[in-house]
Amino acid sequence: MGPLLPNELISNNTNFLLAFIIGIGFGFVLEASGFSSSRKLAGVFYGYDTVVLKVFFTGAIVAMLGMLFFSLFGWMDLNLVYINPTFLTSVILGGVIMGAGFIMGGFCPGTSVCAAAIGKIDAMFFIIGLFIGIFIFTEGYPIWEHIYKAKFLGFPKLNELIGISQGFFALLLIIAAFAMFWLGEKAEKAFPREEY
Amino acid sequence: MNPRLILAAFIITLGLIIAAVPENTTKQYKLTANQLLDEIKSDMQFISTDEVADMIINKDPSIQLIDVRSPDQFEKFSLPNAINIPLVSILSDEWTDVLDQDVKMNIFYSNGTLDANEAWMITRQLGYENNYVLQGGLNYWAETIMNPKAPKSTSPDDEFAKYDFRKGASAALGGATVSNTGNTSKKSTKPKIKRKKKKKRAAGGC
Amino acid sequence: MKKTKYLNPYVGGVLLGLVLLAANFIAGRGLGASGALKSVVVEAVDVITPKHAENAAFYKEYADKHPDGPMKSWLVFEMLGVVVGGFLSGAIAGRLKFKVEHSPKITSKRRLVFAVLGGILFGFGSQMGRGCTSGSALSGMAVLSVGGFISTAAIFGTAYALAYFVRKNWI
Repeated sequence: MGPLLPNELISNNTNFLLAFIIGIGFGFVLEASGFSSSRKLAGVFYGYDTVVLKVFFTGAIVAMLGMLFFSLFGWMDLNLVYINPTFLTSVILGGVIMGAGFIMGGFCPGTSVCAAAIGKIDAMFFIIGLFIGIFIFTEGYPIWEHIYKAKFLGFPKLNELIGISQGFFALLLIIAAFAMFWLGEKAEKAFPREEY
Repeated sequence: MNPRLILAAFIITLGLIIAAVPENTTKQYKLTANQLLDEIKSDMQFISTDEVADMIINKDPSIQLIDVRSPDQFEKFSLPNAINIPLVSILSDEWTDVLDQDVKMNIFYSNGTLDANEAWMITRQLGYENNYVLQGGLNYWAETIMNPKAPKSTSPDDEFAKYDFRKGASAALGGATVSNTGNTSKKSTKPKIKRKKKKKRAAGGC
Repeated sequence: MKKTKYLNPYVGGVLLGLVLLAANFIAGRGLGASGALKSVVVEAVDVITPKHAENAAFYKEYADKHPDGPMKSWLVFEMLGVVVGGFLSGAIAGRLKFKVEHSPKITSKRRLVFAVLGGILFGFGSQMGRGCTSGSALSGMAVLSVGGFISTAAIFGTAYALAYFVRKNWI
């Protein structure tokens, strides 16, 4: 049955309409969880507010479990789902640059759009920065093209890399996430601050 | 009780279940008997000897010939670059990667069509795509490609074109010698391959 | 737990997971954000200097992969939804207000300068890393992609490592 678009059960235009609706859900959840506040987001790096950690990992776990169960029931063919490619050099380099941008700017692209929607001016400036950054990348593409395409490892899954089943890996990830949540809540008690 | 703990217990339980159940259950028996019958009736799995000969000569990298006969027979004669997967070992794990993939088109062949067709039915039932059967098997291959018969002089042009192609293929693949039939028809003999429309993995990226 | 004006983070997480699951179930792909902004950049370059867009390597490659044009993409529609969804949530909770959020220790100007600088880095990094926190880290982890985990570790690891130096901006 699923995924619906690759299985040609819905047209491209329906898919775009559904993308819009999914986006509304995405934006609503981000804003309602407090991701529209840069000081709340940055809190995770100082321990006073770990909402990012909790929402982010709970979201990843729920979606992962959902997909594994859908696949188990035969509702969804995981072979048709997009798996992010792994280009080792660029993913590390890009991640490091993004990390620096995150702590300086206080947003990531998704949350900045969401925050700009409720009138945060710092988020609007962040988005201007994003456009400039992307423009620098596209303009200077020939300079970093070889880095961008270096060390292509295909579409590996982490559980295959360490040789365990997807289900068992999911369980380990859940346990790891719970350990992080526990640490996060301890940190919140250790560095209490009023909510922004 | 704390709602967080209820949620945590719920997620842990789901995690334990998913860790305990075996994977890949989605691969099994993808087609119902009716769907399989429909596919068989439509002869979608067959590829003609001409198409295969053309692909071999052009060194088409997208095909993989699979000989489902016994290793003895495979030793005596096989098509170029074919691999041997005897019908009895078609379910062996060793060959899963070859049979269940979406890069190359696998073409099963045996002496007739019987064994190759059985191999196709088994793999199709497992949900594997991209497997096909050489129409008529090696017997028909020998008849059409290795020793093609000249068509009657009253035959339509494309019969001659086909014959020319087969003569050429035969020479290229080590059969009888070439002799032009004198037919000047330049009609393309490149056979059309009826590939099934494939479902593609969704495109993504941020 | 202390009282909060926001949704419980775990409930928020479950909802986010369901949205991500819906995206994967319907479109066979995860969520994203920076891709939509890239579409806007490419479209803008296309409109302003079409000649340049035809010649520069990146735009050519992009056009090859996106025959329908940059704006007709799943992510663009999704991000339009994000604007609407964020606005709705803010409106319901009474958080619609133009303001610059910053630590009392710094000026608004400093905050905005850092926002632009951070944006530039994040924009560049998201292209280099093929996706941002949503597209690469979150969606990648949900499908167990190795790249997703590396990306998550690199983003959060670097941010933690650098957090000390810009603490004045936040605390």
